Amino acid sequence: MMGLERALIEMLLQFVTRDELNAFLRSPQHTATLVGCLIAVCGALLGTFLLLRGLSLTSDAISHTVLLGIVIAFMLMTGAGLEGDTSSPWLIVGAAAAGVGTVLLTEALHRSGLVRQDAALGLAFPLLFAIAVILVSRFVDDVHLDDDAVLVGEIGLAWANTNSHCFEHCGVLRITPEHPAAQQTRQCANCRELGISPRDERAEFKEVCGNCGVYSPAQAWSAGLLDEAPTLVFFPKSITVMLVMTALTVGFVAVFYKELKLTTFDAALAKSLGFRPAALTYTLMVLVSLVAVGAFDAVGSILVIAFFIIPPAAAYLLTDRLSGMLLLSPIIGGAGAFFGYDLARGLLFGIFPVAEGIAALNAIFGLQLREAWDSSISASVVLTMFVIFVLVWILSPRYGLLASAIRRANSRRRFEDQVVLAHIHNHQGTPSHAIELQAATLHLHFRWTPQKMSRVLMRLRALGFLSLEAGSAILTQRGDAHVHAFRKHMLVAHNIPDIDPTQP
Amino acid sequence: MPIAMPEPGQLALAIDDLTVAYDQKPALWDIDLEVPKGALMAIVGPNGAGKSTLIKAALNLIPRAAGSVLFHGQPYEAARHLVGYVPQRGSVDWDFPTSVLDVVTMGLYGKLGWLRRPGRRERAKALAALEQVDLVELAGRQISQLSGGQQQRTFLARALVQDAQIYFMDEPFAAVDAITEAAIVNILRELNKRGRTVLVVHHDLQTVPEYFDWLTLLNVEVVASGRTCQVFTLDNLQKTYGGRVASLHGGQVLAAGG
Repeated sequence: MMGLERALIEMLLQFVTRDELNAFLRSPQHTATLVGCLIAVCGALLGTFLLLRGLSLTSDAISHTVLLGIVIAFMLMTGAGLEGDTSSPWLIVGAAAAGVGTVLLTEALHRSGLVRQDAALGLAFPLLFAIAVILVSRFVDDVHLDDDAVLVGEIGLAWANTNSHCFEHCGVLRITPEHPAAQQTRQCANCRELGISPRDERAEFKEVCGNCGVYSPAQAWSAGLLDEAPTLVFFPKSITVMLVMTALTVGFVAVFYKELKLTTFDAALAKSLGFRPAALTYTLMVLVSLVAVGAFDAVGSILVIAFFIIPPAAAYLLTDRLSGMLLLSPIIGGAGAFFGYDLARGLLFGIFPVAEGIAALNAIFGLQLREAWDSSISASVVLTMFVIFVLVWILSPRYGLLASAIRRANSRRRFEDQVVLAHIHNHQGTPSHAIELQAATLHLHFRWTPQKMSRVLMRLRALGFLSLEAGSAILTQRGDAHVHAFRKHMLVAHNIPDIDPTQP
Repeated sequence: MPIAMPEPGQLALAIDDLTVAYDQKPALWDIDLEVPKGALMAIVGPNGAGKSTLIKAALNLIPRAAGSVLFHGQPYEAARHLVGYVPQRGSVDWDFPTSVLDVVTMGLYGKLGWLRRPGRRERAKALAALEQVDLVELAGRQISQLSGGQQQRTFLARALVQDAQIYFMDEPFAAVDAITEAAIVNILRELNKRGRTVLVVHHDLQTVPEYFDWLTLLNVEVVASGRTCQVFTLDNLQKTYGGRVASLHGGQVLAAGG
């Protein structure tokens, strides 16, 4: 991981100076936004397939049960005498195993035929999570895990957890007692043992070096042991972790796009054509587990599901193609992460000050709400994503609530028009003409309100489909042609199913 | 019921002692079935007779408890390229974000194998298959906007594009309009003319003699199998449906259950 970071930094240093890079990375906003965006991109890509497979909630389950994998790996490592480092690859292996284990356990329960799919998930993941919680509290005391971090993560602190990379003046400093900078002190070796003071005659002394040891360049500089400052770059660990996850995810989806599409749409066909739907499914679940672990520090185990589900759900309403979803959902997720940081600082979408909204609420309803706004970053990101989803849900050109309502109203209007036109067509020129087609009484035949009928008649006259002669409605030539076209269309539609794209 | 045994070399499909069970409950019991090359065969039987199970077990989609299945004398793994499969329409999510052309192209994924992407050649083949089922003008349409019959024809095109030797179709006639039914029958005859073997799970007894020259009557076990003219008798149908078939009148089934 250090080598990767170093290569990355060297590449970046081609474009920016070291000071600029350090300044950029040291800003909590930049790191939080970057990490948030990377999580959003991974989540959106994988979530697209989870959503289409009806496995949305699996991401929630996995983001919880990876804790079990982390804890067990941690215990095994401590047992084997290894340092229990939270960014160790073994923890990631453990997490991936736990993710797959969750899916296996869920499927085993479901396949017994005694438990439904959703209930199986509901049984499996609290069990694994509960075991993890017990193991943490019983055996792993020093692992960093508090309630807040599990709930919402600490994306705002991601900038502070860094690896330092040294580029110049990087000599590792080893201070030995012989080193000129060594701080030697004399210490009584047997004073405590004998209960005497150092001034006592019996006291024996030994030389003790107060600052001996091995210093990294950064430590040596801060201890004032170097004349020249080492050239350092502090790189946040979360960025590296999430960059690796993003590369894996993007690579997986790009390489296996065709296979993922086929197995998601029709697993039986995929199997009969010689592909391995199960292998792809488990790879997908391993990646979901990895991303869940990578995102754990940043956004906790609960809000992760939003990164997997909200962006694809919004993209689903905007496009009819899988490729479109895979393009749009990372953009939506990334936008959520980007503007989410602003919202946490009190600006919705970076423009609208939340405080003014609260002030308005206070003014209108006489509430006593505090206007200052400073909230959890990850929660704000999720909230922003949800706001985007709601906007799409209402305004999506094809599937949005507004578009559907307009379409329904239009088709209702067209239907009313046709009903009236057909009636006039049927009675025009018959003996009952005068009775049936009186504009003033037409609404009685339909059991419609006079208002509705006059609205329809007005519309039909404006369209040039009918005219009024002596108070009777008469079809114009255009109206006549329209009725015939409609009848022809209806007759054809009777045999060929409707292929009107406006019909869902 | 004596069945004329074709030469082994001429068999498109040879099922031997196939048993499939769900939780030790047999869904298919000791099936022996031989289908000659070029046969257009209906598989008919009541609900729960194991018709779909027979196809799925033959294609290794569900585990077999016993028995073997050979396609042109080879096991499925070696004969995958010979086999085309049209699953039941309801087996997929038609709200999936993809186009008609894309679904048809999926039939070619097997030939492409892992990693290779469909290109212009695959697109042309898919369009040609859509032409055969009269859906070319809907090639770019989102699949959720298709009617049931159009969905079925899309599936049929996806199988045609595979250019297989043996086709398995699971209830292609279920709940389709008259135009689609006619289109499917045309395709079946066309495939038959080109010497392909087609097995169709079918529900409508009335149309069996008209559409199919071979027939297998199935009810967990094979009741009878052979040429339609020999197998399609009241006696056999009653054995299959348990007496719920009332009468045969001039070759027409007047009342059929199941």
